Amino acid sequence: MKNRIKEFRARFNLTQDELAQKVGVRRETIVFLEKNKYNPSLLLAYKLARVFSVPIEELFLFEEN
Amino acid sequence: MKKTILAFFVAGMVLLTTGFWFLSSGEKSPSEWVQFGVIGLIIAFGVFFAFRRLSSARRGEPQEDERSKNVMLKTAALSYYISLYWWVFLLFIKDRIAYDTEVLIGSGILGMAVAFAISWLYFQFRGGHEESN
Repeated sequence: MKNRIKEFRARFNLTQDELAQKVGVRRETIVFLEKNKYNPSLLLAYKLARVFSVPIEELFLFEEN
Repeated sequence: MKKTILAFFVAGMVLLTTGFWFLSSGEKSPSEWVQFGVIGLIIAFGVFFAFRRLSSARRGEPQEDERSKNVMLKTAALSYYISLYWWVFLLFIKDRIAYDTEVLIGSGILGMAVAFAISWLYFQFRGGHEESN
């Protein structure tokens, strides 16, 4: 699962700390998400999509292997 | 914050007890130096763990979130599994090598702590691709 969190974060001019606070996680979780090293829960995915005001499938790109 | 204080307290108690043991043991054998080294590493891990939580609290972050809970869950499962094998190994060698019971039990507990620390580091820095686990 790839995501565009880094791209959207830059577009919204947010730091990793600020985004982490907005969705209620630790900064390192945002770091791992941006590196595609962690797949979030559905709840966190929805929170992230809500921060960027985009549908969840625009933020997370499903790739079938 | 309670867990952070508890982590510092436990690390402090272990350090204090090991310090007394170190000072009262006199001439040290190579195996004792290894034990002190391993205990030192475990104390360092505990202090690192507590400082991480403390710095999160200072930044206003949650000290635990879904990823850290996930890491802890996997760490607990893996280290339990490793610990079972470690105790079986100790039971296997106890009849072959003459060790005192307290040394064997101490090695068992130290091994469990080391297994936990290594498992945590593994899951913490490996990431966590949920679908591949």
